[in-house]
Amino acid sequence: MSLGYHPLVKRLLDGELSLAELPPELRAEGAEALRLVGAVDRTPVVLSPTLDDRVMAVVRRHAASRTRRAWHWLTAPRDVELRLRVRPALWAGALAIAAGVALLLARAPGSAPAPAPVARSGARDSVFVRFVLYAPGARHVAVAGTFNQWDRNAAPLVRAGTTGVWTTTLALPVGQHQYAFVVDGERWVADPAAPAIEDGFGRRNSMVAVTMRGAHTL
Amino acid sequence: MGLAGDATDSEVVRAVLGGEVERYAVLVRRYRDRYARYAARMLGSLDAGEDAVQDALVRAFDRLADCREPDKFAGWLFLILRNRCYAERRRRQREGRPLDERDDGVAAADRPDGTLEEAERMRALERSLTHLTPEQREVFVLKHVEGLAYDEIAGRTGATVASLKMRMHRAYDRLRDLMKEHL
Repeated sequence: MSLGYHPLVKRLLDGELSLAELPPELRAEGAEALRLVGAVDRTPVVLSPTLDDRVMAVVRRHAASRTRRAWHWLTAPRDVELRLRVRPALWAGALAIAAGVALLLARAPGSAPAPAPVARSGARDSVFVRFVLYAPGARHVAVAGTFNQWDRNAAPLVRAGTTGVWTTTLALPVGQHQYAFVVDGERWVADPAAPAIEDGFGRRNSMVAVTMRGAHTL
Repeated sequence: MGLAGDATDSEVVRAVLGGEVERYAVLVRRYRDRYARYAARMLGSLDAGEDAVQDALVRAFDRLADCREPDKFAGWLFLILRNRCYAERRRRQREGRPLDERDDGVAAADRPDGTLEEAERMRALERSLTHLTPEQREVFVLKHVEGLAYDEIAGRTGATVASLKMRMHRAYDRLRDLMKEHL
């Protein structure tokens, strides 16, 4: 059967009372309790001098792994849908235009039909990239870029029913490409959600990076 | 920003998050020993404490983006270390391995001012602490080893002062029972 300390003795241990403030009959118990707490080892603990190096070695490994994961995330296959609105006054007959590119990222199989004259050196260097444009008022849409020498007729998009969505899938060689949509053979539309660069002629082009793991807009 | 060693925790955390991974060494140097005694006493041995500190520092790096208040990195790191210590205790309990009852501290007998009786009492207290619940042990270590006041312990652990006192008072009773031959 254990016998606990008197509440006043516990207050003594908590530092709220001094031994002299205890009733005389509790002072012996108080002195015993102080011996108990006085046995605490407060010696500073010194860790191994190699701890820093060990921690930093692991940290560097994790940081490198994180970088790899981030790169994998950036280049992993996934759909990206972007929208663009153009003022109706600028586009006769169009209620609204949203442009986008969905990058359907998959390594081009060797047996796949050549979707466009862009697969540079066979299947191993190419990745399928799906372009999507929402342009309900358009009569013709194409995508032109560095991968097809900016030929506005080389890669036409196909209208998907009456939805106003135009799509095409191209096998693009690994590397960076600039591109833009060409609507009705005359209007160049850059991808609004992807950072664009000036082409030096007053036009803005979007950029896509293609790797063997996939592609992403730049 | 000052020199690397003078930079505030907040500055270092932001630099590391910005990609300067090597700057994390500043935080490692700054905090490696600060909580070492807490970890060693919580886990009953210097080796286990060192492992816990190392693991906590690595985990803190891995989760640095979650540190919402970089200027309070020290308190945030303490919580990670605390969780690590609790997890280690649970793991040992599951595996049926109690905490080490070795005396890793400098026994009083090894000190010029120590007596054999004091040394034995110190060892007995170290052994007795391993029989407390983790919560009781923690509050005892923080108050009587680290010298913190109840409100400071509450700030670190998130517990109320009233519940901390309750744990501590139960710990006093338990220790009295365990230490009766040495008092």
